[in-house]
Amino acid sequence: MQDIILLIVGAALVNNVILARFLGLCSFMGVTTRVDTAIGMGAACTFVITVSSMGDWALEEFLLKPYHLGYLRTVTFILVIAAAVQFTEAVFRKFSPSLFKLLGIYLPLITTNCAVLGVTLLLVEGKYGFMDSTVFAFASSLGYSLVMVLFAGLRERVALADVPRLFAGPPIGFITASLLALAFMGFSGMGAR
Amino acid sequence: MALAAPDFPDLASRGLVEGVARVISVDGGTAWLEPEQSTACGSCHSAAVCGAKPGSARLVARRFQMPNDHDFRVGERIVVGTPEETLRSASLTAYGIPLLLMLVAGVTVQKLGGSDLQAMAATVAGLFAGLVVVRLKSQKLTARGALAPQYLRRAFGSDAECGLDRSSKD
Repeated sequence: MQDIILLIVGAALVNNVILARFLGLCSFMGVTTRVDTAIGMGAACTFVITVSSMGDWALEEFLLKPYHLGYLRTVTFILVIAAAVQFTEAVFRKFSPSLFKLLGIYLPLITTNCAVLGVTLLLVEGKYGFMDSTVFAFASSLGYSLVMVLFAGLRERVALADVPRLFAGPPIGFITASLLALAFMGFSGMGAR
Repeated sequence: MALAAPDFPDLASRGLVEGVARVISVDGGTAWLEPEQSTACGSCHSAAVCGAKPGSARLVARRFQMPNDHDFRVGERIVVGTPEETLRSASLTAYGIPLLLMLVAGVTVQKLGGSDLQAMAATVAGLFAGLVVVRLKSQKLTARGALAPQYLRRAFGSDAECGLDRSSKD
């Protein structure tokens, strides 16, 4: 169990997708104007990243690796991500139309989120087994959601502050993000022996 | 020049996530509405990117009905709201429950000595079990009316997202 906990802490905090690997910065700046939208986007992303990582692992292990088709990896993974988004949409539309109406707006945005592709490519580098790769993907996306919500909370507070005109908007957002990244640097080395 | 005072939201509407919807049809006491692209995406009018143009299949699927208590007319834009708490709990219900069951099932099978393929099968089974739980839970929430948006006010200029008024374009 300790190995799973270390994997989760490492993926979510130490090597955070946004603040350590700089993936998903478009949604990080675009969807974090309110905490509730950040939660919705984070939860949808967590689901899609975890589900697509399962499909990607299976394709990598049973198709790309045995037949030496590594050069098709990126294209294949993009197709799997798009399929995972469509699957999620279709399932929620069927299983829970009311929830789909409430949350469906976040799903199309995930297809173009580079964090999803980035995490699945990191899985290949890590050479994980099935469950480890699924837990890694889940923890990475949990870290993504955590940073999104933290940053949205900070931006909501900054929006109420008297910011000089020169820094208003994205500039103060980037300064806040850099301070948040510095805070996350405190996790560096955690779990190292 | 005198400006007409907009009907600002009342105090009860605080803590609501707002969105603009267009009245598509009115059928007696019921109005059908189609949501406009919400503020979820920073580039909220990049309709060409996400495909959420007015009348697109994606938005048609998200049409909803509402009691016509405020004499809505077809084509009118109104502001509707959903409590933040509802959005939070809906997100956790829709995505959290299937993920949790999926991971618990997969990790349990692997810790019991199962192979990768067995863990994969358990994970997929956990995912579908979670979706069934979500279905049951959302049916309960829908029956209570917890997921239904509330009418807040008629949309005026500042309600057009990104400072653009889409009504003039359509």
